[in-house]
Amino acid sequence: MLRKIVFSVNGSRVVFAGNPLTRLIDVLRDELKLTGVKEGCGEGECGACSIIKDGKLVTSCIIPVGACEGSEIYTIEGIRDTEKGKCLVDAFRDGGAVQCGFCIPGMVMAAYALLSANPNPDENAIRMAISGNICRCTGYDLIVDSIRLAAERGGDLWQ
Amino acid sequence: MAVNYVPETLEEALLLRKAEKAVPLAGGTDIMVQHRRAQGTAPNPGFPVMVISGLKELKGIRKLEDGSVEIMALATAAEIASSDIVPWHVRKAASGMGAIALRNTATIGGNIGNASPKGDLPQPLILLDAEVVLASFDGERRMLLDDFILGSKKTALADDEIIKSVIIPPHDFTYMFYRKIGMRKANAISKLSLSAACSVKDGIISDFRASSGAAGPKVIRSREAESMIIRRPVDELADIVPDFLDAWDHAISPHAMPKYRRHTTARMLTYFLEAIVNGAEPGVIGEEEK
Repeated sequence: MLRKIVFSVNGSRVVFAGNPLTRLIDVLRDELKLTGVKEGCGEGECGACSIIKDGKLVTSCIIPVGACEGSEIYTIEGIRDTEKGKCLVDAFRDGGAVQCGFCIPGMVMAAYALLSANPNPDENAIRMAISGNICRCTGYDLIVDSIRLAAERGGDLWQ
Repeated sequence: MAVNYVPETLEEALLLRKAEKAVPLAGGTDIMVQHRRAQGTAPNPGFPVMVISGLKELKGIRKLEDGSVEIMALATAAEIASSDIVPWHVRKAASGMGAIALRNTATIGGNIGNASPKGDLPQPLILLDAEVVLASFDGERRMLLDDFILGSKKTALADDEIIKSVIIPPHDFTYMFYRKIGMRKANAISKLSLSAACSVKDGIISDFRASSGAAGPKVIRSREAESMIIRRPVDELADIVPDFLDAWDHAISPHAMPKYRRHTTARMLTYFLEAIVNGAEPGVIGEEEK
């Protein structure tokens, strides 16, 4: 007998009935069409598939959907139109953080998790926060600067 | 394809373990990677898996009456790293596992059950004489983690058992040391690691221990080498160091890059022992913050 897995994605209820080892990223991308979640390495190393699950940053490519019962999940699509999301997206654009863009949804989610916990991070804290997100274009400096910019511009938004 | 399960209670999980030999998946950071296939397809390990991530009975970290700390199997590396009741060596190792997203997912039960010689948590846990609590439908048993891990990826887990928790006995060290050597500051698998601890009372070394990770098929502790130092006066430590290093070198058995691993292990031990010989301030050796 198959147990149904019930959870929420970006505020909407999702009911999954199938193999509980199905990767969360495949549910998000293929079934829910949330293609802002990118697959890079497929083994939890590169951070392109990063999402927020129950308030914590996780890599959706190695999370089985069976581990999501009762979870609240947010992807880049769920935060981009919020005040915090807009602040980050604007800062990434203005700071020149984006080149090819493939790592950026994951970077934004990592930055979102960081600033939500630490509204005023120093450079070291920012580098630690994105240490699980690999970018092959930028050399990271502009991404770090942009996260700093989002912290400064956001101010009370992140408190 | 084998059937996979999501038990709702520990009792249901123990029944599934007994009846179906279902393998527990806690965070998924090992099983989901080791058995991954193409994009869009679920991993197919070839054996039944039960996703136990949601079992409340296996969550949390608590202090027991005798001062021991019990870390439940589903405690994540992030929870362990940020707990103020978990001993320093274990917190330190947990804070250096992978990167943030992995630490939010990977569990102590999985890290022990996977039994990789490069696993981050078994090394400090074995240093601290931690015990593992194994649960089956028919009861529980406890054993030293050092006895539970038999070799590379081999444990004494019976096919009807689940790792329930880890219990770390209380201790009071004068000096502590931990070092993980990886290719990067984050997101690195351990190339070599070492924990060490020493207690000095009235000029006598009352306790000395060390554990080497990624220097053999399992975490290595040599009680024989440790006993060369225990109960000796600190004043004599400098004279004992060469024989101790020799004994430790015989205890470890690194397979790849043995020369590098032996040399670096000796250097780390020397660093710690010299600090004690030189009368360092009590506390953590080799780091500014505690």
